[in-house]
Amino acid sequence: MDKKKNDPKRGNAILLSVSPLKALALHLICGVGLGLAFWVADHIYSLDLITHPSLTLRLISVFVAPVLILLYSHLRHDRSQCSYLKAVGRGLLAVPAGAVVNAVGATILGAPVGFEYFPKTFNWSLLMSLLTFVPAACVFGSSWTDWHRIFARTKANESTDYMICLPAHGAVIGAWFGAWPMPLDWESPWQEWPICVTYGAIAGYLVGLVASLGCIFFCNSQQHLKEE
Amino acid sequence: MDSSSLTCKKLTVIAVLAVLIQVFGLGFFVLGFFPVKPALSGFSGVESFYPPGADSAEFQNTTNLSDSQLKYLYQELSLVPPLFDRLILLVIDGLPAEFVLGKDGEPPPKSFKEAMPYTRSLLTKGRAIGYHAKAAPPTVTMPRLKAMVSGAVGGFLDVAFNFNTQALLDDNIIVQFLKVGWKIVMHGDDTWLKLFPGKFSRHDGVSSFFVKDTVQVDQNVSRHLVDELSCADWSLLILHYLGLDHVGHLGGRNSVLMAPKLREMDEVIKTIDLNSLPTNNNDQGRTLLLVVSDHGMTGNGNHGGSSYEETDSLALFIGPTNFGSTSGTTNKANQVDLASTLALLFGVPIPKNNVGMLMPETFISLTVDQQLRLLELNSWQLLRLLEAQLPGLVCENFLCDNFRDDGSERTRGYSSLEETFCCLYMKAADLHRSWKSGEEKRSASGDNFHNILVAYHDFLRTASEWLSHRATDKPVGQLIFGVAAMLVSCLILLSLLFLLGKQVFSEQNQQFSSANDDLSWWHLDEIFILVVIVIVVISMGSSSLVEEEQYIWYFMTSSRYLLSLRKVMQHIATRTEKNTSATLGPKTNNYIQICSIFVILISGRFLRGWHQGGVNWTNLPDISKWLEQAGSTYIKLFQLVSVFILINISLVSLLWSRRSKKNFMTMVSLMHLFPGMLVLHYITKYQDVAFGTGSYDATLMAQIIYAVLGFCSTTIVVAVPWCIPFQNRTQVQRKAWGLCFRDSAYVIGLSYIYYWSLLQLLLQQPINSMPVLFLFLQVLASIWHSSGSNQHLRQWVEVATLYYMGMAGHFGLGNTNTLATIDVAGAFIGVLNHSTILSGILMFIITYASPMLYLLSMVMYTSVKDTSGFIVSQEGNIGSLLKRTLGFPCLVPLGLNSIFLIAYTIVLLLMRNHLFVWSVFSPKFLYVCATTVCVCLGVSVVASTMFYICLVLAYREKLQTRTD
Repeated sequence: MDKKKNDPKRGNAILLSVSPLKALALHLICGVGLGLAFWVADHIYSLDLITHPSLTLRLISVFVAPVLILLYSHLRHDRSQCSYLKAVGRGLLAVPAGAVVNAVGATILGAPVGFEYFPKTFNWSLLMSLLTFVPAACVFGSSWTDWHRIFARTKANESTDYMICLPAHGAVIGAWFGAWPMPLDWESPWQEWPICVTYGAIAGYLVGLVASLGCIFFCNSQQHLKEE
Repeated sequence: MDSSSLTCKKLTVIAVLAVLIQVFGLGFFVLGFFPVKPALSGFSGVESFYPPGADSAEFQNTTNLSDSQLKYLYQELSLVPPLFDRLILLVIDGLPAEFVLGKDGEPPPKSFKEAMPYTRSLLTKGRAIGYHAKAAPPTVTMPRLKAMVSGAVGGFLDVAFNFNTQALLDDNIIVQFLKVGWKIVMHGDDTWLKLFPGKFSRHDGVSSFFVKDTVQVDQNVSRHLVDELSCADWSLLILHYLGLDHVGHLGGRNSVLMAPKLREMDEVIKTIDLNSLPTNNNDQGRTLLLVVSDHGMTGNGNHGGSSYEETDSLALFIGPTNFGSTSGTTNKANQVDLASTLALLFGVPIPKNNVGMLMPETFISLTVDQQLRLLELNSWQLLRLLEAQLPGLVCENFLCDNFRDDGSERTRGYSSLEETFCCLYMKAADLHRSWKSGEEKRSASGDNFHNILVAYHDFLRTASEWLSHRATDKPVGQLIFGVAAMLVSCLILLSLLFLLGKQVFSEQNQQFSSANDDLSWWHLDEIFILVVIVIVVISMGSSSLVEEEQYIWYFMTSSRYLLSLRKVMQHIATRTEKNTSATLGPKTNNYIQICSIFVILISGRFLRGWHQGGVNWTNLPDISKWLEQAGSTYIKLFQLVSVFILINISLVSLLWSRRSKKNFMTMVSLMHLFPGMLVLHYITKYQDVAFGTGSYDATLMAQIIYAVLGFCSTTIVVAVPWCIPFQNRTQVQRKAWGLCFRDSAYVIGLSYIYYWSLLQLLLQQPINSMPVLFLFLQVLASIWHSSGSNQHLRQWVEVATLYYMGMAGHFGLGNTNTLATIDVAGAFIGVLNHSTILSGILMFIITYASPMLYLLSMVMYTSVKDTSGFIVSQEGNIGSLLKRTLGFPCLVPLGLNSIFLIAYTIVLLLMRNHLFVWSVFSPKFLYVCATTVCVCLGVSVVASTMFYICLVLAYREKLQTRTD
């Protein structure tokens, strides 16, 4: 779960397939959706991450999944061949696939293995999959070059790329940093797997949202300057 | 190309010099930080009632005496009847003397004074004498208890060399009491049980772990109080109350809980006093209640350091009758004085390593003669200790002219330390002798008596101060010198590394002139390597991260390889995108790389899961615990499978080196196979009996394996460079030379790591056999990985990664930063007679299995790096080849280690008053020192091997050209 970003500045010929305002709306919905999921878990089901990590994570995933899939499916690339429903379908398919990749990554980096940890890891990787893989799957489908460009080379060519790439990388990097307090002996309940990692991932994701928004606005203004 | 700026010779000389400076600096620092004082072994006996140097034939043989007979003998010899018969030692953890006695003649704060009415009344009545007993740092419970009972100020290395048994092995007052047949009962802090396992007839230990509990922890002690006080069977009752320390930790000195806690303690004192002390005239004898605290506390309740608040501990003697002393509250003493005082009060010999002097106010009720006799006994004991610590101390050599001068003359006229002690002692002894002979002058008020008293006190105080400072004082100059030397060496190594990197970089740029921007930018993995250094250095400052250091290494190494996975992925697609000149070669190369990365990551995860490690979470389940539960059959099965797989892998890897004569390779394979079979045989047949009675065969077999391993490795190292053929029919001369060089390095490097792993399979605990195999796999995979990525990655990154992997593996084998995990049992495999040096070497081999393995793998690493391009283009000599191939593999580990060493040394200096300096930071420092030794050894083996290969090849080349 550790893929860091190179400097994504080089894309100077950015195509803006999504207008900044639309991106803003989409990001707002994503961010608010995530926050709302927490609020619902806390206030309606009275669950929180520290006491019931698995249940809360699953609840948040269930809440966030439709929001993300429905939103990002609007931005699908190959509109001519792919209907909206198909994009939604491949987004749904990507949930377990991405969960497996995330779970493997987390386990390699040291997530505990065992029967009592399995639900936690499983639910955590569902959420991570939603934050990282699912948007890409909705937009790109099985296009290897696009996936490769986003996740291996961290090269964004257009505004949808930013919208997928930056939040996903933010979530992964945030999760990586979120693991840091775990070995400290502060004896706080939130130091358990996967609580602080989740916090880190969500914080990173939100930062990624803001950053991608910033990039899109910046590119937009650059483009206007060029046109003038 | 300006290669003259940093030739191979220069590089070597400077590097060796830097390492030497480092070793010297480290030595200076260690000796300064952990002063080693010669402790006397054994226990004091009858000889303590004779002057030092007395003929040992005079002494009565005490081995056959019963406890009570010994007690009477002691009484007879000491000439002073014991003042008390029974002792109640009430330890109140963390109670500053100030709370009870006040400070500088002022009474304690009003709330505390009111909280202890009974104790105050005892003090005013004169039935109690209180002391401000100054404790020595570290002000932590265990060392302080040791100081109280043994009278000695211990050093850290004493503890370290006991392999972490916490039991007190030196002479101490508890053992002396046991010798005269005392029964001892202990209730309270379980530190006592760790110090004296099996010495108490009854005990109820409470743990100091639950700091938030201030009530239950004391109730668990007090509930025994009434029963024990009515019991008559004990002579020493130890009560250790932890609650007050916990109150301090929670709320500091002025916590609202402090006054109630003091009131509770006052109640305890009152109960004891009312129940026990008045019985002084019945058959139980006279009872002394001694209230002590092990240390004080700072304003916010912490302790460990050396401030007045922390070292101001209490010693309060409460007897059945008046002591007859004038003042009960303003006396000052040292905590170590308790041991000698107790010994003299109860008529047993003073512990051998005691550095304290008796507390004179407690003996005022004795006659003048008796007081002088006790002073004499104390002086004899200290003189014995001085003689042990100052080997040249022979008092007859000094002419102490200013004998009968006034007391004001004292130490001024003496030139040396020895003379000072001798003259002070002889002055007191002479005065005392003349006092004894002149019967008529005896009177307590007389001037003579006063003079003798002063003379004895002079001697005792001077000796005691010098002895105790010797154990705690750190020579600042020496420490600074050591740190400065290590810093200089670190800077030298780093600048060498920098110069070398710059040079290689410019050469590479010339070679790949196609302005490849891959080379000129800082890459993610390079930054990551530097970040790891920073993180490790920062983590050294936190005691919990020192305890759990393994997490950092695991996390960092796996992150590092996930980063390279990403990098390989990038390259895969570049090839498919370009799709022009990309042949099949690089593509399979990429797949091999991905596979090797997965091997590294997965075996790394297994290594991590094998031992839970660390300090705080050792009880969590891990694979080793699971296997141990499953039974020894499974462990053995795993062991056999590991050896089998190891042998096979090494044979297969040998086949990869294909440019060699067939006969020769068969020989090498046999030399790999044979020791492997021997180890298999040993495991199947002898391992279970290795520590049993029929262990002679096992020992012999182990010795045979050592010999075979040694023989095979030397033979291979010596022979291989001569036997690998030159093939210069088709290729350029220099290229053939390079291939030959690489082949030899490959075979030798593989043999090194294979033999090392075999040795580990023999020595490590059976449970660790699979991890050794995983380590071997990891090494091979990392070398495969680096063989694929040739010019895209700078060499130093790969070498640094190997070093990090070595550290991660170190913890994967179950090592931690405490001394408790050192495998002592394995250190006696194949050692017939107990030999500290041999066992020490084996222990080092076992503990540093993984870092050494990775260092040895550097030989193999140099063989897979593609240097042919360099060799062809370069019209160079051996020197530049060596510099190129060997520079980074040797300098990077040295440089990294020097950074960690200097950083940790500075951390240790800063933390010298930390609460955990002895339990966490100092053991880790020993590990850091041993790692330095390991790195130096490993690098020198690698360097000398490569140098030898180069020499032989150069010689052969010369021969060949001559015959041509």
